[in-house]
Amino acid sequence: MNEIPAPVLEWDLIAPLMVLGAVAVVGVLLEAFVPRGPRFVVQASVAIGGVVAALGTTIWTATRTDVLDGDVLARGQVAAEGALSVDGPSLFTWGLLLVLALLSMLLFAERRLGGGLSAFTGRAADAPGSSGEAEATRHRLEHTEVFPLALFALLGMMLFAASTDLLMMFVALEVLSLPLYVLCGLARRRRLLSQEAALKYFLLGAFSSAFFLYGVALVYGYAGGFGLAEVADAVASRTQERPLLLAGVALLAVGLLFKVGAVPFHSWTPDVYQGAPTPVTAFMAAGTKAAAVVALARVLLVAFGGAEWDWQPAFWAVAALTMLVGAVGSIAQGDVKRMLAYSSIAHAGFILVGVVGATGGDGITSVSSALFYLTAYGVATIGAFAVVMLVRDASGESTDLDTWTGLGRRAPWLAGAFALFMLSFAGIPLTAGFIGKWGVFSAAWAGGLWPLVVLGVLVSAVAAFFYVRVVLTMFFDEPRPDGPLLAVPGAMTTVVVTVAAVATVALGVMPGPVLDLAQQAGAFVR
Amino acid sequence: MTAFWVLAPFMVLAALGLVLARKAVHAALCLAVVMISLAVLYAAQGAPFLFAVQIVVYTGAIMMLFLFVLMLVGVESAESLAESIPGQRIGAVVVALVFGALGVVGVAQSVTGAVVGVDAANEGGNVEGLAALMFGPYVLAFEATAALLITAVLGAMVLAHRERLGRRLTQREVAEGRLQDYAHHGTHPGQLPTPGVFARHNAVDTPALLPDGSVVETSVPAPLRARDQVRPGDRSEVDAVARELEPGEDPR
Repeated sequence: MNEIPAPVLEWDLIAPLMVLGAVAVVGVLLEAFVPRGPRFVVQASVAIGGVVAALGTTIWTATRTDVLDGDVLARGQVAAEGALSVDGPSLFTWGLLLVLALLSMLLFAERRLGGGLSAFTGRAADAPGSSGEAEATRHRLEHTEVFPLALFALLGMMLFAASTDLLMMFVALEVLSLPLYVLCGLARRRRLLSQEAALKYFLLGAFSSAFFLYGVALVYGYAGGFGLAEVADAVASRTQERPLLLAGVALLAVGLLFKVGAVPFHSWTPDVYQGAPTPVTAFMAAGTKAAAVVALARVLLVAFGGAEWDWQPAFWAVAALTMLVGAVGSIAQGDVKRMLAYSSIAHAGFILVGVVGATGGDGITSVSSALFYLTAYGVATIGAFAVVMLVRDASGESTDLDTWTGLGRRAPWLAGAFALFMLSFAGIPLTAGFIGKWGVFSAAWAGGLWPLVVLGVLVSAVAAFFYVRVVLTMFFDEPRPDGPLLAVPGAMTTVVVTVAAVATVALGVMPGPVLDLAQQAGAFVR
Repeated sequence: MTAFWVLAPFMVLAALGLVLARKAVHAALCLAVVMISLAVLYAAQGAPFLFAVQIVVYTGAIMMLFLFVLMLVGVESAESLAESIPGQRIGAVVVALVFGALGVVGVAQSVTGAVVGVDAANEGGNVEGLAALMFGPYVLAFEATAALLITAVLGAMVLAHRERLGRRLTQREVAEGRLQDYAHHGTHPGQLPTPGVFARHNAVDTPALLPDGSVVETSVPAPLRARDQVRPGDRSEVDAVARELEPGEDPR
């Protein structure tokens, strides 16, 4: 029998993943051994501590990567036997995901808003509205498993953004999706809506995973390997069997665009964002999008860069449709969470404009512009959902847009923060959203995609009109007498809203440092 | 190739049956056909390990769990087939056919050459080759699967486990409680009647009949009653069976 050589794992490069995975497993053990009383606090502290530790490790790893020789800027190397590429974009995304997750974990841990209980149901096995549910609430049960589940999802996102091997990417896709399916169904209020959201997300997500897997199989048939570098070599050298490659690219794109939330694979977004518990929505909207966009860009630019004329027209159409449907859809919504969901679809379109605007093989400008956009979008999204958590009435969050009329007169600071996030979504100057949009549009312009840029600017104008209208009704209309109560903001949510608002302004006024980081990240390493 | 062309039509038919079957048990059996055929295809293509795993894990474990659950629960809920979007079903069929045709054309145009590489992959033994891949290039993916399994278990526990809040009653307390109920409210202290006795079927959804032929409502589990899934089975059905058995003679 042949000797199997031991695999070489670069522990220093994949340390952030190991730290996070270990903390998630510790969280599962704590669930078993810590008594119920202190369990919530312990789990929340461990999760937050774990994310901070992983963030520290990521920064430590980032300082150890070297700039590679070559004609394009790139840093880092392929690690773990060719499964991961720990390069500039990966490390930037890891840092971004961990910061967004840190903010989300604070929202997960918020207990001041719902009468001392977290936003998650006390005992998910009870039927909604049953006597068991009331009993669970009376005993003040809380599902603390949400923390390890969220950490596993975060681990999946980090793996997904960095994987440079289609098999690894598929496993990462599942690791990121499965915990989110469960988390979506755990809302404390409006549980039927939440369970419906979880089931829809699960079924459609399973479909999209199957598409992705079949695409992987076809691409393997074409290239004879799973590594993106091998695929790129095959794309460059083989001229026969082109249909197999095209079918593979199309199916892979379905799976990835589903996670990005692009039209025509967007229909799950409004329902799931609305039904899921708001902290989960914030985490999912910001994190999944970041991980999926980076994975999509990596697959398209690294593996299929040599065949870009084959896939680019389809992606132009998808980007244009996504912007249009997202912007027009958000106008028609009467629910704040659904509105934010449609706005996230529109943002997926704007990011795609930047991603497909890549010129040449390296696509540094598009990748760095997408990374900055994801930062601006992620921070504002988490902030906006944190505000949604605070506007409540007797039955929980009051997400009907009508009830938000005149909110600015009753809670100027809160409404001001929400208005700021809206303006950032609209891309008004001096907010992060403006710099983000500027970046993706100029990347696309440099790539010669001026029709998409013109369309993007027009759509932004339509969307801006709508966002500004929301701001106006919040500040200049009379408050309704039956308007929502405002929960006393807990320390956690206050911190999140403040940090998000400050970051949104700071990234708009002084984008330099983060923009530099995104540009220093350089190209994907294959 | 022969094995493929022999098995493929069966698999396609079974897969169609899986989607179109009205009864869940039939769908599950169709799934079993698909899985076993797939296992045979693995064996025919020189992958004995996958063949064994497919049989043991999928057909053996997962498939049997499916059937167990279907039979234990015994619920045949009729699906609502009303379309909420007009024309959706026809649209879906058309799109599916176009998609399938596109896939077949794409793959058929490409896959023309001889199959290569199996011998090289199986050189040091099939299982050894798999092990070398799994603990070599794909070790991280293999490890990440652990996260997936932990998540699956944790998720199942979160969604299905009911944490006990009160103290567990002892057998004595249960018995005393039942007799208290009997004394104060006249509730029957024994077990509920089992379903299906003296009836045409002995399935859980068929109510038991009293000697006079009337239906005992409590003999059907409450969830089935709540869902209106009680099979109508009263005296007249018994009579009908009796007539079949002894033609020309009225059992009364």
